[in-house]
Amino acid sequence: MGIIDRARVYSPWLYHLHCGGCNGCDIETLAALAPRFDAERFGIQLVASPRHADILVTTGCVPKQFIPMVKRVYEQVPEPKVVVAIGGCACGGSLFYEEEPENYAILGSPDLMIPVDVYVPGCAPKPEQIINGIVQGILKLAAKGSSRKRREV
Amino acid sequence: MSVPAKILKQVLSRYSSPMTLKYPSGVDPSKKYSQIPEGLRGVPERDAEKCVGCRACFMVCSGRATRIIDLGDKRTVSIFLFRCTYCAHCQESCPEEALKMTSKFEFTIGEREDKGAYVDTDLEMLRCKSCNTAFLPKKMEKRVFERLQEKMNPLVKEVVLSDYKKLEGYCPECRRARSTNFDTHTKKWLWLEVK
Amino acid sequence: MADPVITTIEIILMVPVALILGVLFLFLFRKLNARFQWRVGPVIRMYSDLAPLIGKTRIWQPLYDILKLFGKDTIITDVAHRRLFVYSPYFSLLFAISAAFFIPFPGMELLSSVPYSLVIASYLIISSILFTILGPVASGSPWGAIGARREVELFLVSELSFVLSIFSIALSSGTLVISEIAGRGWSAPSILLSLTSGLLLFVAMLGKLHIKPFDMPEAEAEIVAGPYTEYSGKLLGIYFLSKTFLTYVLVALFIALILPPASTSIFWLPAWAFAAMVLVFLLTVVQVLNPRYRINNALYWYVKVVIPVGLVSFIIAFFIRVVA
Repeated sequence: MGIIDRARVYSPWLYHLHCGGCNGCDIETLAALAPRFDAERFGIQLVASPRHADILVTTGCVPKQFIPMVKRVYEQVPEPKVVVAIGGCACGGSLFYEEEPENYAILGSPDLMIPVDVYVPGCAPKPEQIINGIVQGILKLAAKGSSRKRREV
Repeated sequence: MSVPAKILKQVLSRYSSPMTLKYPSGVDPSKKYSQIPEGLRGVPERDAEKCVGCRACFMVCSGRATRIIDLGDKRTVSIFLFRCTYCAHCQESCPEEALKMTSKFEFTIGEREDKGAYVDTDLEMLRCKSCNTAFLPKKMEKRVFERLQEKMNPLVKEVVLSDYKKLEGYCPECRRARSTNFDTHTKKWLWLEVK
Repeated sequence: MADPVITTIEIILMVPVALILGVLFLFLFRKLNARFQWRVGPVIRMYSDLAPLIGKTRIWQPLYDILKLFGKDTIITDVAHRRLFVYSPYFSLLFAISAAFFIPFPGMELLSSVPYSLVIASYLIISSILFTILGPVASGSPWGAIGARREVELFLVSELSFVLSIFSIALSSGTLVISEIAGRGWSAPSILLSLTSGLLLFVAMLGKLHIKPFDMPEAEAEIVAGPYTEYSGKLLGIYFLSKTFLTYVLVALFIALILPPASTSIFWLPAWAFAAMVLVFLLTVVQVLNPRYRINNALYWYVKVVIPVGLVSFIIAFFIRVVA
């Protein structure tokens, strides 16, 4: 394993994308990053810009008005990237999503438009479970290999 | 000890060790998790022996996570964990007490089609004698008969049981078609009244 | 000036030394920050069952961050002024590294004995920061532009503090050569001068390194990531590398100017290291105790504190000069 591949495992940066929903999963996600479960021990940091992120953490089901934003944020994360869906809404749509009849406002889970690598179901998941999911995401990230393309947007 | 020294000691003791858990590492298994409260609702678990496929859990499921899939001779009672909100309504409503909420919470799944995302129970279906459609899980039929015997009024027991022998193995449609032959059919009682 | 061969060897040696020390300072900063917040921070010894999976130690965490960014995609927006956007990080790094050559390290005199080295060093530091402003301006992002504007304002006032500080010291010792300032002796008024101009230089460091009351250029709750918003991959990594070098440069400059004999000989290395750690500790204390100022508050604060202290500092320096 090269030093850059190892560095990718050692310093995953998260971008937290709240798509919609009740905020329960967001509170738990922040709890997973707070002193009690201090994710910075393993180099995990919350970053403010999707361009700096390695792991896109999505919570909540996606309202139809939010679809372009989700796609755009996903495209802005540079390769290699991993998407971790946290909570029942982000995994399967949960209470808000119906197949038949279709909900007029809610599209459903984000995996209908962007590829999701790790699902962390639960309503809401415990912080331990979220950290576990992020660790699974890191392992997938390690398997993806490095990319040094220059992308023009 | 003077007061400022006491305060200083307290402050130092508070900051001498961080409050962070060792979480992903299980060096000390008893201290691995922050707190698992009593009655924490985690992943539901179904006892395949007890489940009869009565659809009670399907009727009450608030997130529409529970599904009943009938495919020929097989009925699958399934909970899609991605949509489950752990509300425990199914546990409450289950007449056979087959469903139990466990306190298992630490699980993640890589793909939507993964088996771990579903809590499935397969049941064998009973086919109708006359029209050959699968209409009821075999287990449920047996269980309903047992319950019937338990709760029946002893006065009508004999008549009802003899009728039950006649209709055994027919689907509701075919049963209705043959209902005039039954001793418990209302027509007969009506005739008695008139007489 | 020293032997050119030795100077060349020292310069070649200085790059890894400055990088390692910068990384260690940043690690210490993060670790202390975490401990003040009652958490662990980047672990020094990884738990035994996780060590084979994710490495034994995280002392090099800031370096891993930079290395990881080198292995990622670089995204360039089409609204950006391409050339400026791409080359600014490189120039910023170049100036930060070359500033390290003009500041003495215990046992290494480097170029600090060339004439006017203090002026050269301060110009190199200014240029490095200038290119962290130019790149974001060229990125075409509103967040980058707002961040860069704040950075300019902060840079102007912190530069006031910086210049007042280093020139009052230069005035007191009557020279603009860093190695001579770093080798000066102590006297009662010079201790007083070290206090006042040390305070000024410390305050200037807060602004230049974006420590908490003055981190409004990178205010992540308001303007995404400020100047770095549009940067990704290798270019961001180079900005971070430049910041690592700049951290080392400012700490080393502080010790060279304010605590005179500490960076003259190799025997002073433990004292130098101790002083550097104390300095990083003080920076952390300021970081954890303060909320973020608004930019106008920061400007007023700098003017309120810097001008009186700077005047006092100049009077003391003048007094020392006249008496000597």
